[in-house]
Amino acid sequence: MIITKSWLNEFIDLSAVSNEILYETFNSIGLEVDSINEIRIDKNVVIGKILSVSKHPDADKLNVCQIDVGSGTRQIVCGASNVVDAEYVAVAMIGAVLPGNFEIKHAKLRGVESEGMVCASSELGLPDMGKGIMILDESIGTIEVGRTLDSYRTIADTIIELELTANRGDCLSVYGVARDLSAGLDIEMKRFEPVKDEKMKIGMARMVELHNDKNIEADLCYKLVIIENMKKHFLINLRLAMVAVEAKGYMEDLLAYATHTTGVILRGYNSEVFLNTTDKISIHAKAKKEGIIELVGNDISHSMVGISQDKASKVYKDSEKILLEASYINPDVLVEAVSQSDFKIDTLYYKTSRGSNPDLEFGLLYLSNLLYQYTDATCHEGHLSVLAEREHHTVMVDAKEISAIIGMDISLSKIVAILHKLGFVLNKGADKVASVEVPLFRHDIKHIQDIAEEIVRIIGINNIEAKPFSFEEKPRLNRVSDRYKTKKAFKHAAVGVGYYENVSYVFSDRKLLEKYHFPVIEESLDVANPIAEELNTLRSTLLINLLNAVKHNVSYSIKSIPLFEIGSIFGSKREESEVISFVFSGHNGSENIANAGKPREIDFATFTQKLGAVIGAFELEPCSYTNTLIHPYQSANILIEGKVCGFISKLHPSVQDDYGIPVTFIAEVDFDTLLPTHINTTPISKFQGVYKDLSVVIDKSMGYFEVAKVLNTLKLEMLKDVYPVDIYEDEKLGDKKSLTIRFFIQSMDKTLEENDIDTVMGHIISTLEQECQATLR
Amino acid sequence: MKELEEKIAQANSLESLEKVRVNLFGKKGVVAAQFAKMKDVPGPEKREFAQKLNKDKVALQSAFDARYEVLKSEEIERVLKSEAIDVSLYGTLAQKGALHPVMETMDKIIDYFVALNFAVESGPMVEDDFHNFEALNLPKYHPARDMQDTFYFKDGGLLRTHTSPVQIRTMLETKPPIRMIAPGTVFRRDFDVTHTPMFHQVEGLVVDAKGKVSFANLKSILIDFLQYMFGDVEVRFRPSFFPFTEPSAEVDISCIFCEAKGCRICSHTGWLEVLGCGIVDPNVFKSVGYEDVSGYAFGLGVERFAMLMHKIPDLRSLFEGDIRLLEQFR
Repeated sequence: MIITKSWLNEFIDLSAVSNEILYETFNSIGLEVDSINEIRIDKNVVIGKILSVSKHPDADKLNVCQIDVGSGTRQIVCGASNVVDAEYVAVAMIGAVLPGNFEIKHAKLRGVESEGMVCASSELGLPDMGKGIMILDESIGTIEVGRTLDSYRTIADTIIELELTANRGDCLSVYGVARDLSAGLDIEMKRFEPVKDEKMKIGMARMVELHNDKNIEADLCYKLVIIENMKKHFLINLRLAMVAVEAKGYMEDLLAYATHTTGVILRGYNSEVFLNTTDKISIHAKAKKEGIIELVGNDISHSMVGISQDKASKVYKDSEKILLEASYINPDVLVEAVSQSDFKIDTLYYKTSRGSNPDLEFGLLYLSNLLYQYTDATCHEGHLSVLAEREHHTVMVDAKEISAIIGMDISLSKIVAILHKLGFVLNKGADKVASVEVPLFRHDIKHIQDIAEEIVRIIGINNIEAKPFSFEEKPRLNRVSDRYKTKKAFKHAAVGVGYYENVSYVFSDRKLLEKYHFPVIEESLDVANPIAEELNTLRSTLLINLLNAVKHNVSYSIKSIPLFEIGSIFGSKREESEVISFVFSGHNGSENIANAGKPREIDFATFTQKLGAVIGAFELEPCSYTNTLIHPYQSANILIEGKVCGFISKLHPSVQDDYGIPVTFIAEVDFDTLLPTHINTTPISKFQGVYKDLSVVIDKSMGYFEVAKVLNTLKLEMLKDVYPVDIYEDEKLGDKKSLTIRFFIQSMDKTLEENDIDTVMGHIISTLEQECQATLR
Repeated sequence: MKELEEKIAQANSLESLEKVRVNLFGKKGVVAAQFAKMKDVPGPEKREFAQKLNKDKVALQSAFDARYEVLKSEEIERVLKSEAIDVSLYGTLAQKGALHPVMETMDKIIDYFVALNFAVESGPMVEDDFHNFEALNLPKYHPARDMQDTFYFKDGGLLRTHTSPVQIRTMLETKPPIRMIAPGTVFRRDFDVTHTPMFHQVEGLVVDAKGKVSFANLKSILIDFLQYMFGDVEVRFRPSFFPFTEPSAEVDISCIFCEAKGCRICSHTGWLEVLGCGIVDPNVFKSVGYEDVSGYAFGLGVERFAMLMHKIPDLRSLFEGDIRLLEQFR
C-alpha cells in the first residue's frame, strides 16, 4: 500500500509531524514501512506560464516557447509535442541541477537560443507520468508563476510504501491509514467537507429502478450523474503515478483515485446498458450463488460485485448519464466463492478480498465531490441502495483480561479511548467491563485477543515492560532430545575424522533416482507442483545430492572432498526415515610435507576405517544393494548386531564419469540402527593372554565373512578375539589363496598352559578343515 | 690433588669421564690406593690423615658429579639437536572437518532453550492441511495462505511450510503445561536470491493456565535469547500479523553490521528483522481442544540467524556443500 504525506493530510493534519516520527509511528502501530521517499526538487525549477509557442524554423519536432517565469520571460526550445496544449509548466532555469547531476545550461538548439528546460515528471525525480512534459493546473494548489515547484507540498511530497499484513484490509486506503495514524499519533481526524451540490437535477428514483434478490450479501449504492467536459487533472495523475496505480482513461482515473482515497469500491457504468424498453435504467442485483452477486441489465451481466466489471459497460467518453456504484461485500464469503470458481478478477479484487471500506455514502460523496471539482457534473438528487442484513459484532472487553494478556495493567478508560479512535463504538460500559461494537471495516476483529492486539499496537510494544515467566520445573528430556544428542555426537565424530557437514534440499530429480536404481515415490503420491525439474521429487538417498556437492567442489579445484549429511529420505509410499551418508572423493587428505605433496587417493580400507571412527563397530559382507552407484566388486553390506543397516562402496567408475569426479567412496547407513543401546559389560580376565596366527589355504572365491561365520559357531570360552591380518595369492596357489587369521586366547581363571592353547587351536584347525575345506599352509 | 681435579675438569665426554672415574674411584683407583696407605700411617697421625683423606674424597666426588651433570646435559642437548625439524612445515596438516553453519546455529539455539527447561519436539515433513494450516487458524481461502507458497502432493498432502504443525501435534498428544521448541526443515515454493525452497526453523511454544502467560513474558525471553545469540544488541518489537497468534509481533535487533547507523544489509533502517512471535490465538487452542489456557509462541529462520551471525552473504551457498565456505568453520 502506497500513500503520500500530502494525501494523508486531507484527513489528518500532519503539518507538525516530521517524517522520522511518521516512520516510527507507522512501524510501532504495525504498518511496516517498506520505503519512505522524500521528493526534493531543485529551487531553480519554477512554475512558468507559456505565452506563445511557435515551430522551430529548422527542426520539425521542436517548438520555441516564450515562457513567463515570474522574474521575466524566457525563450525555451522544447521537444515535447504536448507543449502546445500547456498553459502552466515546470521550468528548470539555467543553473538548476536535476537528478542524475544534470545541470541546465544556456544552450543553442539548431541555432535557436534556449534558456532553460520545460520538464517531464521523470526529469525531476517524480514518477513517470507518461510521454511529454507535465501540464500543471490548479489541482496542485494556487498556481503562482515563478514559484518554486519544491514549495508545493502536493508535488514535493513524501511517498511512503507500507507493507500491510493480510488482516489489515481497512488500511488499503489513504483514509484508512489516516484513521490508524490518528490513533497512533493521538491527532483528531479532519472532517471531510464536500463542496456543496450546486447543480441538482430531479431525483434519480424517477429514472432508475433497483431490484434485488432476497438475502444478497452485498451492500450496493447508486448515484446518477451527467458529466461534460472531461479533462485531465494533473494532481490526480501525479498521485496515481506516485502510488503506482495504473488506470486507463479519464473516468477510470477518477474512480481509481477515489477508491484509493476512501477504500470504498467504486465503479462507473454507462447507464445505457441498463436502459430498458420503457426508457428506465433498470438494475437487477442477482444472487448467482453464495458470495457471487451479478449486476444484470437487459438480461446481460455487467459486473460481479467485488470481482470484475465487463468492459462494455465502462465509461470511456463524455456520456449522457453515468451510473456510479459503491459496493461492499463480506470478504470471507467472497474469497471462498471466488476460489471455488474460475472467474476473472480485476485489480479491485485485492481490496474486496481483504475487506473494503463499507461506508458507501462516504465513497460516493468523495467521488461526486471530485467530479464537481474537476468536471462539469450534474447530479440527480438522492441515491438508491440495497443493504445486506448484518448483525453487528460485539466483544465484551474486560480490562483485567486484557491486562493479563499483555502483562501490564491497563485501565478500561484507556482501552475504550483507544478503541474509539480506531472507529469502535462503545455500547455500554460497567466498572471494568465494556461491550464494544466492532466496525464492519475491521472484519478481522473477532475476540478479546484481537482487541488486545489493537491496544498493544497503539500503546506500543516497546512500552510494555518485559517480565520473566515463572513456571514449574519438570524433566523435559525425551526421545527427540536423545536422538538429537546422538546426532550431535555422530556429527562431531565425523568432523573429527575430517568430514564436512553438508545440507542439501530434501528434493531430488526423479529421473536421476530412476537412472541409478534408487526407489522412487509412487507416481500418485509424488510432488504435484515442483519448483524445478531437478527438484521434482523427494529424495530416497542423500548420495545423489552429495555427489552433486562433490561435483561443485571439483569445479573449484578442491582435491580432497570428504562430505557427510544426516537427513530424511522417503520411500515409495513417501514414508520418512533418516540416514547418515558419507562421500569421500579424491585425495585422502591434504597435500603436505609428510606426503611430499602427493597424497594417496582414498581407498576402501581408509574409507572404512573413517566410517568406523564415526559410527562405531560393524561387520561387512558382500553387498546386496541394487543401486547402480555401487561398484560390483568393491562394495559391502554394513552389519551392526548382525543386521544389515546400510552399504559401503567404491563409486561405480561410470557414475564417476557421469559426474566428472575423481575416485570416490560412498556409504549410507540407516540412522535408527545407530541409536545407542543399553550396554552391560562382561567380566575381564586378570590373566595373561596369547596371540596365535594361523595361515590357511582356502578357495579364492571364499570371502572372509564365510570363514568368520564358521568360527563364530565355535563358541570357545577361551577364544576372545578373531581377525584377519593377511591375504596372499600367487601362481603356485592357483585358484586358492592363503589367509592369515590372528586369534587371541585367554582364560578367565588361570594362566594358560601349552596344552590349553593347543586344544583351542586344534579345535579351530579341524573346524576350518571340515567346514571351509581349508588346509594348513 | 689439584692434578686430580684437573683431570676431572678436562674430561670432555661421558666416556672419558668414565675413564677418570675408574682411575679415581675404582677398586684399583687412586682413592683406594690412598686409603690403603692408611695402615702404614703411625698411630698419632692416623686420625689427621684419615680426616684429610675423607675430605679429599668428598671434594673429588662433588667435582666429578658436577662435571657429570654438565657432560650429561651436553649429551642430551646433542641428541635433541640431532632430532631437530622445521616445525613450521607441519602447521598445515590439521585434518579436522567442520559442522555446517546452519546446523551449528540450530544447535546453539536448541542449547539455549534446553537450558531454560524447554523440551525438544519433532514431527513429519510431509503434513496434511489440518496440521499445517487449518488447526493454526489458517482456514482454506484465507489470504494469509498466500504468504506461504506451498508444495503439494498429488494426493493432497503437503510439505510443511513451517514447524508450527509440530505445536499442534504436541498439543494433541500431551496436556498443558507445555514448554517446547520444534527445530526442523520447512519448505516454501520460492526460489530466488533470498529464498530457497527448503530452509530451517525453530519454533517455540509455552502453554499454561489462563491468565498466566503474557506478552511481557514473551518479550522477556526473546530479548534474553537474542542477546545470547547476537551479543549486546538492542531489541525492538513491531506489531504484525500471524494467523496463529494474537497479538503478534515481529522482532528486530539493532543492526550488527553498522552498529545501527544504517547500511545496505539493514536497508538503511538500522534494524534487522529476526523473528516473529505472539500470544497464541484462541482459535488454535480451540482446534486442539484446550480450554482455559494461555500461551505464547515464536518462530525463527535458522539460515537468517546463521547468515547474520557469520556474515554469510549468499543464502543459496548454504546448500551447495562448498568446502571453501565450510572449512571456515573448522
